[in-house]
Amino acid sequence: MFERVRPRNLEDFEEPRMVPLGGHLFGACFFLMKLLPARFMLKRAVERGQLAPGGTICESSSGTFALALAMLSVLNGYRLLIVGDWALDRNLRRRLLQLGAELDIVEEPHPIGGFQLARLERLQEHLRRRPGSYWPAQYYNEDNPISYSKVAACFIDAVGPIDCLVGTVGSGGSMCGTARYLRMLFPDLTVIGVDTHNSVLFGQPNAPRKVSGLGGGIVPANVDHTQFDEIHWLPASEIMASAHDLHGRHGLFMGPTSGAAFRVARWWSDSNPGKTVVAIFPDEGHRYADTVYDEAWLESSIPGWNGTRMEEPTAVSSPTVDMTSWAKYPWRRRNLSDVLGDLPPRI
Amino acid sequence: MSAKSGIGKAMAHHGELLQGVFDHIDGYLRRGLVSLPYPALTSLATFTPNARAEITVSPTGREKARRAADLTIASFAQVRTGGHIQLVSDIPIGRGMGSSTADVLASIQAVLDYLRVFPTAEHIMRIAVDAETACDSTLFKQQAVLFAQRDGIVLEVFRKPLPALNILSVDTTPESTVSTVEFEPARYCPAEIEMFRPLRSLLRKAIDSGDVRSLGRVATASAVINERFLPKPGLRELQAIASRYDAAGLQVAHSGTMAGLIFDPEDDRAPENMHLARKAIDALGLVSAPLKLERA
Repeated sequence: MFERVRPRNLEDFEEPRMVPLGGHLFGACFFLMKLLPARFMLKRAVERGQLAPGGTICESSSGTFALALAMLSVLNGYRLLIVGDWALDRNLRRRLLQLGAELDIVEEPHPIGGFQLARLERLQEHLRRRPGSYWPAQYYNEDNPISYSKVAACFIDAVGPIDCLVGTVGSGGSMCGTARYLRMLFPDLTVIGVDTHNSVLFGQPNAPRKVSGLGGGIVPANVDHTQFDEIHWLPASEIMASAHDLHGRHGLFMGPTSGAAFRVARWWSDSNPGKTVVAIFPDEGHRYADTVYDEAWLESSIPGWNGTRMEEPTAVSSPTVDMTSWAKYPWRRRNLSDVLGDLPPRI
Repeated sequence: MSAKSGIGKAMAHHGELLQGVFDHIDGYLRRGLVSLPYPALTSLATFTPNARAEITVSPTGREKARRAADLTIASFAQVRTGGHIQLVSDIPIGRGMGSSTADVLASIQAVLDYLRVFPTAEHIMRIAVDAETACDSTLFKQQAVLFAQRDGIVLEVFRKPLPALNILSVDTTPESTVSTVEFEPARYCPAEIEMFRPLRSLLRKAIDSGDVRSLGRVATASAVINERFLPKPGLRELQAIASRYDAAGLQVAHSGTMAGLIFDPEDDRAPENMHLARKAIDALGLVSAPLKLERA
């Protein structure tokens, strides 16, 4: 009844290394966090009969989820089609191709849902054309948040009882899944979601964003808004500067979403001494060597990125206000509709 | 080999601190539990050999204890012998307090005492599982263990025994009993199976550091996850009382009717809170009794 269906494969790469960052703040440093939900979703799909040996996987992603799927597809003999957009940079593109994935790059954004929705529409065409292919659907698949039990266990193994969890929100899987598991044991856990300006996830009006990996133009079903006590929005400049701080002060070479989580977690930890805080750092920095860690690129893309950092966030009265700097809002574990009044289109 | 009789003694438990499914090092998921031993209630067995061909038991009907004695003779006796097992137990039946397992373990140990053989705890547990289908972890006294009750194997040995606990014991349905054998084992869904990972991690931390508060959190979460398989009337009300009077948590018998509010003996306000919680439980129309469980 409980037989495991596959050997460990890359499972040893799924768990974070827990790094103390001073005070009672710990960074959960992942090599590639998405390996965990990707492996779990594929395993469940095999168990349900949705994914046959040698089958085809189709997914929309411009980031690390695509990379995780490609690595697992190589190991397990699946074919993989990735629908991506501009955010799928040259290096990642090359890696995906070397891993045998087929790529379809969407050039034009959807007039309302942006690139994310345009990618999903293109994906539907591919799924129609290839009957029997499997769509992991990380935005909707319940197995995405469910897979994070191992991460919650890992946090407890390393630091014991936890008072506060901080991390960026994209698909909603890591933050909402981990928060749900931790709250079974620590009902008073403070959960802080980190988003970026112009992302609709927590109510900002949709507009072009400068950082990928957090936020988005559509609200994934896996974002369980009722998990969050507080939401922060960071501008690209703060995110980049913070990634550099994490590297320069703690020796941790991580991606921009890690920088975003670190910025907010450091501030909360300093404001709440004695509380045990865990910040999720989802991937390493190598992928961003030519961007986030290239100062020439930064100067041209995000002028003034390394200027003065804000001491603390500005409290905003509504998530919908126009934001130019680091902002925070007391979400208080409410639904999106309870916070915003009228429910915006949820796709 | 002398013709004298042998004696064995085994203790009750007050349900479990944790019960679910867990990874084993062999890569398979196993059902497992951590019992909450209750040494004040015991089953005492006396084995007296005789010239008959088979083993008999009294009180009559304790078939699993008889089978356990028979299996022990078959495993360890150089010369097959008949005999009689006399059981004296003060453990209530059908409450999920391990009355049947205690009879089985006491009987095995009575035969072993007569034979003067001393196998490992795990060997004894395997005979008990053969006789009874499922078993508990009360035999392990030096260190707490996560025990696979249907396989008779230890999944994890914790570094220490359970810390001392004060329990407010409640029978949630005094008028009905649960048969452990007829009770269908919980069929956990994939999401529930995953929930046991963080519970196991916190349990390990709690036992290793003697942290009653964390132990209580694990027990409460286990009770809540398992509630759909064997609902306990009034569990929500008991949970509310537990949090109102600052109990560390709430544990249940996962195959019985018992529940317990866990209090930390080190907490100066616990006696007062237990007193108030008892009054609140009285008001629910249920009877409670305070138990002191010493560190093993």
